[in-house]
Amino acid sequence: MNFEWQVISNNFFFLMGGLVTTLELALIAIAGGLVLGTLVGMGRLSKLKSIYYPSTLFVNLMRTQPLILVIFWFYFLMPLILGRPIGGFTSAVIAFTVFEASYFAEIIRAGIQSISKGQIDAAYSTGFTYWQAMRYFIIPQALKNMMPSLITQAVVVFQDTSLAYVIGLREFLRSANVVDAREMRSVELYLFVGLVYFIVCFSMSRVCKKLELKKENA
Amino acid sequence: MIEIINVSKWFGEHKVLDNVNETINKGQVVVICGPSGSGKSTLLKSLNGLEPFQEGDIRVDGISLKDPKTNFIMLRQKMGMVFQRFELYPHLKVLENITIAPIKVLNQSKSKAGQKAMELLERVGIPEQAEKYPGNLSGGQQQRVAIARALAMEPDIMLFDEPTSALDPEMIKEVLDVMVDLAKSGMTMAVVTHEMGFAKEVADEIIFMDEGRIVERGTDKSFFENPESERAKEFLRKILI
Amino acid sequence: MLNYDFKWSILWSDPYGGWILEGVATTVKLGILCCIFAMLLGIIIGTFRITQFKPLRIFAEAYTEFFRDIPLLVQLFFWYFAVPSLLPEGMRTWVYQEIPDFEFWIVVVGLSLYSSSRVAEQIRAGINSISPDQFNAALSTGFSHYQAYRYVIIPLAVRLVLPPLTTEILTIFKNTALAMTVGVLETTFMSQQVEAYTFHGLEATTAACVIYMIITLIVVGVMGWIEKLLAVPGLIIRKGADS
Repeated sequence: MNFEWQVISNNFFFLMGGLVTTLELALIAIAGGLVLGTLVGMGRLSKLKSIYYPSTLFVNLMRTQPLILVIFWFYFLMPLILGRPIGGFTSAVIAFTVFEASYFAEIIRAGIQSISKGQIDAAYSTGFTYWQAMRYFIIPQALKNMMPSLITQAVVVFQDTSLAYVIGLREFLRSANVVDAREMRSVELYLFVGLVYFIVCFSMSRVCKKLELKKENA
Repeated sequence: MIEIINVSKWFGEHKVLDNVNETINKGQVVVICGPSGSGKSTLLKSLNGLEPFQEGDIRVDGISLKDPKTNFIMLRQKMGMVFQRFELYPHLKVLENITIAPIKVLNQSKSKAGQKAMELLERVGIPEQAEKYPGNLSGGQQQRVAIARALAMEPDIMLFDEPTSALDPEMIKEVLDVMVDLAKSGMTMAVVTHEMGFAKEVADEIIFMDEGRIVERGTDKSFFENPESERAKEFLRKILI
Repeated sequence: MLNYDFKWSILWSDPYGGWILEGVATTVKLGILCCIFAMLLGIIIGTFRITQFKPLRIFAEAYTEFFRDIPLLVQLFFWYFAVPSLLPEGMRTWVYQEIPDFEFWIVVVGLSLYSSSRVAEQIRAGINSISPDQFNAALSTGFSHYQAYRYVIIPLAVRLVLPPLTTEILTIFKNTALAMTVGVLETTFMSQQVEAYTFHGLEATTAACVIYMIITLIVVGVMGWIEKLLAVPGLIIRKGADS
């Protein structure tokens, strides 16, 4: 078996096009997941039953599901809701946002809960309002505590986007798959894809470790 | 008898024990005190080989810890140890905590070990807790079980590593009472503690450590009434308030 | 909303109902096999990660990092497409055509390796959360290293690791859905097969969702039962008091 690495350079722009789609999908999903996740996460801490139960149900339901199935589900459901067919990309964005929101929600809930109740009491005792206490004491501390988990989850989202493959979206993995069907160079192509993913994820996990060490030493 | 001869130890660059010399004779009670990070716990743990050291030697009844032929398992059977955070086995009942080593290490029968364990629980004052799990005991009770566990191996020497510093104030006395009884029964003891009342009552010698060195040593009177070093004076001022 | 004619009866009509049930059987078989292999491998790698022997520790660390930083789907494609293409021409066709259930076993290999790295991480974290003085306490009563592990550390670690292991088992079952991409006829694959034949994708996909929910409930139930079996009165209280 001899390797022909030209397959990478010959199709470089095509592959990079796929990577760009992957990155776009990941970034939108992370942003959307964070926003929705924050709302749901705070809902999980709400004293109002009408908010607490739906958000809890949503989180627990999503977490029992394989992502791939959620992708399919929205792929079939969205055209029904909107009344017209939508593209694979839009449907994937919605599926990822909703799915990842359930994971972000739990991180955010845990982050807020990690702040001792004494902190709020201390803020109240010096005359701050609820929102001021949140703004100046709880949120900054919670954010610092949950940063490593948030980054880890962002890396997971980045990896998860490869599943958009199943609805034919031409992201990074699908691009390699397309080239492979034409050129029959599976080893080179999948090694390359693996390597790119590895480099991105590995460097992010290093950043995470550093943050965690900083947190421990603080 | 324990002889500590010129012992030095480094953690990387940091020297945690600096040329320590000390002799603990049979039946003696030695209290080791000093600020945190002074090396007192490290010194205690090096006595039964839990902390290795680079230079010098420690001899327990003539057996050198530096001798590669020394059997640490045999050595530790003669030296009981009590830890700051009790370190009971949470998945075993109180009685099993005490009997497991005699059964597994000394091959004692279950009934013999159980009988002995009940005697020890009587001695530390909590026989009624035998069938409970450690997690359901108070800190003071847990520490008394830990003492019973160590005594079950019938050791010649007992080592105590800050046995009361994780306890609520109202529980300290019940543990110290057991330790005083033990001291008066003639047990050889090395105790890392800041409980100066205990030291006054039973210590034959008090060692004050700072930055890995023994800075001062004395009997209770000489140490408490006129410590020589500034560091010891300052330390005593702080803890005796 | 678009007019969509829901036809749930599709799910229990012949042959579609049978397909889905076959899919469930494959999902369960795949999940159980991968759980077993991932546990065995994970325990070995997890132990390597905490040994004093540096080469083993570095190997185990690289292993966990490697499998964690590449998407599972890429790993599956690598095992399925790339590895056989390393074989000589004749053998490659033989592998694809003659090995019974080749896709199935490739997923068992890929998913087990991937999951073992996650299990190893939980094992390491579990053992590391036991204080070093607990080990010292065992040694101080005259236990050998082996005895200290046998009677103290391992029984404790098992109890500490059970809850995170439940999560890992659930993850394994969810990840079996990726097997559809290499043509294993498991639940997700079958639900899409039903959609291809009937165009009732929403019903079929929803049915699959319910199936994964039921699998989750069963796993949680079984693991909860095991946890109860091994529960120690006061152990959680103690942990709470310590921290």
